[in-house]
Amino acid sequence: MATTTVSSVPLSINDRITAGILALLIGGFLVFGAGLANSAVLHDTAHDVRHSYGFPCH
Amino acid sequence: MIVKTLLAALVAGLIAGVFMTAAQELRVVPLILHAEEYEGKEPGAEPPAGATEGQQQHSSLQGSSLIGEILSAISPITPAYAHEGEHEEGGIMFGMSRFSGTLLANLVAGAGFGLLLAGASLVFNHPITLRNGALWGACGWLAVHLLPAIGLPPELPGFPAADLHDRQIWWIATIVLSVAGLYLIVLRGEIAAKIIGLVLIAAPHVYGAPQPSDISSPVPAVLGAEFAVAALATTLAFWIVLGVISGYLNDRFLKPA
Repeated sequence: MATTTVSSVPLSINDRITAGILALLIGGFLVFGAGLANSAVLHDTAHDVRHSYGFPCH
Repeated sequence: MIVKTLLAALVAGLIAGVFMTAAQELRVVPLILHAEEYEGKEPGAEPPAGATEGQQQHSSLQGSSLIGEILSAISPITPAYAHEGEHEEGGIMFGMSRFSGTLLANLVAGAGFGLLLAGASLVFNHPITLRNGALWGACGWLAVHLLPAIGLPPELPGFPAADLHDRQIWWIATIVLSVAGLYLIVLRGEIAAKIIGLVLIAAPHVYGAPQPSDISSPVPAVLGAEFAVAALATTLAFWIVLGVISGYLNDRFLKPA
């Protein structure tokens, strides 16, 4: 893990799965906040976006 | 390396989000504003003045959207915004204009979808490249928009709909099953996997999306049809832009030397 090469190397399997799950979690959180979260302020801010993306709204 | 991968996805999502905002302002938002003129009225009630004649409908749509856009850009909060009686409180975050709210939400959603796409590619171990980026995007659109839209088409404000929670559960379940099904069909070679994939994709539709008991609506059907097509078309463009930019950034910055 301490090896730092100048050219980027392909992700190892562990790193790949870690990065993948991390990306899915953060991405899911962001999409949930913009599209699904049941908060009046979030809803009103993202209102047009929720409709445009076809998120279930109202 | 992990951070670089996530950053590339994030940047692609933000760019696609900006693009999506422009696409929405051209076609989708005007339809939403138009539908809000009818929202809250009884079905079959008199339409608002200026929207009666079929001929005038499109010109009035353009006119009202232009005025609406100008108004929304100037005023911190658009009056038609909060759906009356539905919320105790609300209003747009930080007192932003309606447009800034849309832009912010598009950036957040774009970054989110970008990360989800990258996450799927990492977990499935099939990198997104410039060559296959459009296909990745198209599959994302299928899973997140078109397939769920079979049961729950994009709705305009004022459309009848079943319980929100039920619809959200069905929507999320359909996306998860669609992603799994698409993975089995597109990325696996076995015939059995492809058949299971089809079954997974069909399952939520056989089960059935939650439907409202009363489907009468004060919003004209023509608007709904125009909106459904506009929403699906803009999201398809969004996903293809997202996939291609993700692929470009991956090729440019992440490819092993």
